[in-house]
Amino acid sequence: MTIDEDNTHSAMLAQSVGDYVQRGSDLPRVRALAQTRAEFDRSQWRQLAELGWLGVLVPESCGGLGLGLGEAAIVAEGLGRALTPEPYTAVAVLAARVLEHAAATTLREELLTGLVAGDRIPVLAWQEQADDFAGQQIAATATPFEGGYRVSGQKKFVIGASAADGYLVTAQAADGLQLLWVPRDAQGCSTGLQPLADGRSYGEITFKDVTVSREQVLASGGAARAALDRALDHAAAAASAELVGVMKRANEMSLEYMKTRVQFGKAIGSFQALQHRAVDLYIQQELADAVLREVIGQLDDALPDRERALAVSRARSRCADAALAITRAAIQFHGAIGFTEDCDVGLYVKRAMTVSAWLGNARAHRARYARLSAQPQHKEAA
Amino acid sequence: MTDWNAGSDEEFRAEARRFFENEFPAEFKFLPRRMRWSECRGWYLKLSQKGWIAPNWPREYGGMGLSPSKLLIYFEETERAGVGRMPDQGITMVGPTLIRFGNDAQRAHYLPKIIAGDATWCQGYSEPNAGSDLASLRTEAVPEGNDYVINGSKIWTSMAHDATNIYVLARTDKQAKKKQEGISFFLVDMKTPGITLRTIRNIAGHEEFCQVFFDNVRTPKENLVGELHQGWTIAKGLLGFERLNIGSPRRPLQALEKLESLAQARGLLADPAFVERFTRLKLDLADLGSLYGRYVDKARRGEAMGPDVSMLKVWSMDTYQRLSELLMDAAGEYGAVEGEIAYGDTNIDVLSPFYNSRPGTIYGGSNEIQRNILAKYVLNLPS
Repeated sequence: MTIDEDNTHSAMLAQSVGDYVQRGSDLPRVRALAQTRAEFDRSQWRQLAELGWLGVLVPESCGGLGLGLGEAAIVAEGLGRALTPEPYTAVAVLAARVLEHAAATTLREELLTGLVAGDRIPVLAWQEQADDFAGQQIAATATPFEGGYRVSGQKKFVIGASAADGYLVTAQAADGLQLLWVPRDAQGCSTGLQPLADGRSYGEITFKDVTVSREQVLASGGAARAALDRALDHAAAAASAELVGVMKRANEMSLEYMKTRVQFGKAIGSFQALQHRAVDLYIQQELADAVLREVIGQLDDALPDRERALAVSRARSRCADAALAITRAAIQFHGAIGFTEDCDVGLYVKRAMTVSAWLGNARAHRARYARLSAQPQHKEAA
Repeated sequence: MTDWNAGSDEEFRAEARRFFENEFPAEFKFLPRRMRWSECRGWYLKLSQKGWIAPNWPREYGGMGLSPSKLLIYFEETERAGVGRMPDQGITMVGPTLIRFGNDAQRAHYLPKIIAGDATWCQGYSEPNAGSDLASLRTEAVPEGNDYVINGSKIWTSMAHDATNIYVLARTDKQAKKKQEGISFFLVDMKTPGITLRTIRNIAGHEEFCQVFFDNVRTPKENLVGELHQGWTIAKGLLGFERLNIGSPRRPLQALEKLESLAQARGLLADPAFVERFTRLKLDLADLGSLYGRYVDKARRGEAMGPDVSMLKVWSMDTYQRLSELLMDAAGEYGAVEGEIAYGDTNIDVLSPFYNSRPGTIYGGSNEIQRNILAKYVLNLPS
């Protein structure tokens, strides 16, 4: 693809994302969904599919647009800004990236094609313990059985589980790590939901002797690990873009309010104490935006694993901290009204909380950054 | 002329590292103060001969025209090798200002002298009663024959005692309605009769800044930059370049280098509480680099800096101070000791970043003034 075509795609995508964000105050719908804990609206999901957004990263051979992470980040930022609760990053980035690097099977093609069309909703179930966002500690087992496996174990923190029709599951077998497809309604598979602050939920998926055929094996050993690591890093970057969307809108709301709210006979935005605080938060927003752009640009040129992880942890740490600081301050800037359920500020605070906690929070990513940057580069090759 | 952007970043880094490590005089490495001209002239000329004296200038004026990523590498490698800060006003302020606001004759006369090391510059901005409120300055310039005659005084003029030239903001119209109007921008030779100066000792005990007195100092009319009475626009343009310069990661990198060595020498990287603070600061600085890159791109396209460049200055100097404070903390009892402390085979001056980072939140418009600017012109908050 030439640079011009590339730019045209980005520009068109940015335009349609801009229209989407403009068109809708999606907020009444978001609020209604949050109150009923229905985080997924199938007609909305179809709309995202029709816009082509679910297939941004998916190869053209499977019906996608075959674009880069830069384009996926445009969509993620727009959806973050609109507070769209549907699991775009979990499905169209995380699951799509894992499947892209899975073995070329009929199942892979079927899942990817279905994902793009909005008919299939696969999500990744890889994590078992808090802070282990890379899914390194896997107690789930895959025991050989009649040409396939029997899978047992439990996975947590699965965003999108309430809508998913199946899981991309990691499990340990005697011959190494396995990445397996388990339909939601498979015998022995049960999905529990843990409520999140913003009305969405984490899935807690339990597998009890679930039978998996050979055809359901998507990747094994080193190939599975590599697909997983790359997908998780790319998803963490896309989630950071969501956070940038959330923080920008929250900042705009605070600034609009400070210009109109009058106390002591003046707009409160004229008070220096508030101005300086608003400036410091704006600097955090611009740092987050600059880091994210730089990192996304680097991720599209295939980076070595260590550099990719360092770059993503850097973006993630800044974007999560900034989103939390900005949305929390938005409550303070709005005063008592900011603490009411009716005030939209709360929706932004809560979304910042859930997106920051998922895929490794800022502290966990800083710890990874510290660990990796302390390692001499040449040892990484192993 | 060599196109330094042609090769890969890795190649450029290797060359910069080799050059700075081998060629910068060992006796001045990691100097706790700014270098005097007598100390750094040889190094300045060496950089000049290599074509490396003005990394930020366009190539047509003898600069390197570096891309943001290579400019960052240039800074990282200078700080890694402990290259001290030279009188750099000509490179960082005067050059970009004349390129943008000067005329051809001024560019032809002054720019090559800066590149060649024949001229070093200082800044005549602040006055005893015009600090943060710069536009209330009272130094005045009156036309007389082919000259302007300047009277008044400038203060906090860094390295004026080493400068051959000074650029001066002076009032040329006292009747102007607003105090920002009626100010003009002049170039003055420091050897002109009527200029005297006194040095001022700073909190670290170094004599780096001065007060400069103007007593009927004549500067030829061709040394007026831009239009008469329109100097405030140029002054602000120059402040944009100054904020870009102060906002570069270069100075905080200096403190990070020291902090990293000290942490390693004292085994602090095994302490999770220290590592968390250290990593935060490291990321604060790395992220500054990402934001800085945007403005370097802008400067390379020849665009003036907007008010948003103040973000860089606030964040860079805040980060510099926080790094210097963690350095003191990391030294324990030695955090109060003056001069170099020996850690194995490295010597670290723990207090110099503390002192050197203090004025950064004051000069170039204090960080509070920067926040006022950002609130008013970027966030459009009411006054």
